Amino acid sequence: MRYVPALVWVGLAAAIGFAASLLVGPQGIGLPLGSDAALLVLFEIRLPRAALGFLIGGALGLAGAVLQGYLRNPLAEPGLMGVSGGAALGAVTAIHSGLAAAVPFALPLGGLLGGAAATFAVMVLAGELAGPLTLILAGVAVSSLAAALTSLALNLAPNPFAASEMLYWLMGSLTDRSLVHVWLASPLIVAGSFVLFSTGRALDALTLGEEAAENVGVDLGALRTRVIAGTALAVGAATAVAGAIGFVGLVVPHLLRASARHEPGRLLVPSFLGGAALVLLADVALRLVSPAGDLRLGVVTALIGAPFFLWLVLRTRRELGP
Amino acid sequence: MPGIRQHRTRCWGCGPVSHCEAGWGEEVSARDPRVPVSHRPARRPVAPCLGWAAAWTLACAGLLLGGALNIECSLAASARRIVSLNLCADQILLDLVARERIAGLSFLARDPTMSTNVEGARGIPAVQGSAEEVLALGPDLVLVGSYSTPATQSLLRRLGVRVAGIPMASSFEEIRAVVRQIAHETGDEAEGEALIVDFDRRLEAARAPRTENRPFALAYQVNSLASGPGSLLHEMIEAAGFRNLAADRTLGPGGRLPLESLVLDPPDLLIFANAPGDFRTVLGDNLRHPAVRYIAGHQASLHLPMPLWLCGTPRAVEAVERLAAARRDLGAGKRGP
Repeated sequence: MRYVPALVWVGLAAAIGFAASLLVGPQGIGLPLGSDAALLVLFEIRLPRAALGFLIGGALGLAGAVLQGYLRNPLAEPGLMGVSGGAALGAVTAIHSGLAAAVPFALPLGGLLGGAAATFAVMVLAGELAGPLTLILAGVAVSSLAAALTSLALNLAPNPFAASEMLYWLMGSLTDRSLVHVWLASPLIVAGSFVLFSTGRALDALTLGEEAAENVGVDLGALRTRVIAGTALAVGAATAVAGAIGFVGLVVPHLLRASARHEPGRLLVPSFLGGAALVLLADVALRLVSPAGDLRLGVVTALIGAPFFLWLVLRTRRELGP
Repeated sequence: MPGIRQHRTRCWGCGPVSHCEAGWGEEVSARDPRVPVSHRPARRPVAPCLGWAAAWTLACAGLLLGGALNIECSLAASARRIVSLNLCADQILLDLVARERIAGLSFLARDPTMSTNVEGARGIPAVQGSAEEVLALGPDLVLVGSYSTPATQSLLRRLGVRVAGIPMASSFEEIRAVVRQIAHETGDEAEGEALIVDFDRRLEAARAPRTENRPFALAYQVNSLASGPGSLLHEMIEAAGFRNLAADRTLGPGGRLPLESLVLDPPDLLIFANAPGDFRTVLGDNLRHPAVRYIAGHQASLHLPMPLWLCGTPRAVEAVERLAAARRDLGAGKRGP
């Protein structure tokens, strides 16, 4: 598919997902209108959910595209690299230290710091030109450590429902989010997305190799800083309000790569819109499947993403194998 | 203060002895007929221990030397060192037996977000639940939840400790059964019956008639959980003269009511069965949601602390009393039958 039609299609899918998110509720499909309570449902319950789905999905898709372009590695993704896990740890720490209640924006900032630490750790562990295997191993190590520390934090705090909360942070959800969460997360997600979008041209140059990129004027150190900061801002804030939602950043750039003629810079906008569409539609689907709302968004994205990931691993092995 | 500790320990060492002394128990418990006899030692003051330390020590020593038989006097047939590993059994035990006979309680018994009797549990060794800790306390009876920690249970049994599995009570009838079972295990059947009589008396006093036009109530919890039929909360709501909205929506004992459904069709009384402050991370977000605060501002609402309904114990009757009071304030239901 050519670039512009692809862009139109993912844009349309995201718009449909947004509209569907406003239309679908536990009582079926329809716009609640008429009474005060109905308006409350529309503006205080469904609109925050749709807005967060759009922003968080977009952030995850965009971060996936940037990380894959920067590391020149098809398996790079915020969830698999431990960025989401680190962000969840940062958010949980902010909550249990009492900072989140005392200082505005401490919650998304906690997610940001955790996400930045995880991104940095994986990049140091795997090196910038790491093979897929090293990157995945580093990601697994950082994810496991983050999950263990999150679990520890939930257990140390007197909390009878630590296990359920753990599930939330590992398998994110948009259920019962409010406008408060939108105000908390959106400034940071938008800022992070701008930083990530700004890396487009440098990522294109990087496909020629680091030396060639430096020759055309790319400052590799500054690029690295922008990738880490942008990912941490966008994914950190997203995870702080919705938990870790995996595989979006992995699947979306792959589906759209051919349309962008394998130029990482051109892939960024479609990946943002594609990520938004995937998360919004997955969130609508889970509301239709389980109206009571005990199915987690992360479960649905993992159901879509994990088989895709396996297929990708097999293909990578064939390409690298003897 | 090591001095106090020492005296306390010495006094407790004489626990069975003091229990044997005629008149001691009756005298204190007679002050408050509503509190079961066993509740008295929980408030047993430390001061006499301090003031009469020397006398106590002498008395103890005398009794220990003079007649070990005396110590056995009233407790020959009953358990004397009881350990409970279950929050619900902890609370019944505290109301049922003399404090001196409790060798350990679960650590949850001290948690004010879950236990009704934090005061009573204070000073009694807290157990996390491992077999090793339990053995170190030298119990002659261990109460555990029927379905929890099967490995610990079987290990204790293999090591020759008497273990009693206590089921979770999720109805008034099951509360009576559980009290009878624990009382039977500890050898305090009469005390158990007294607890049940007291429970039934308060329950009947609070119970409201099942009129046709009862208002709806809903016990809204963290994660949008709302207890339907089969749960203790359901029976409490119905006993207090409400119809449970969760039953109307065909939810089960651990059902979930989406926030939207709550907002579009709210109950006449919204019962906050959890405090948002108890759950600082995501599970409590539904309780802090602006839409829920709006509903709470437009409908009658009530905070029912979790310890009152979490465990099926005789103390759960207080929840029915509070709900019945809210029912009286509310008057007749706004909706038709």
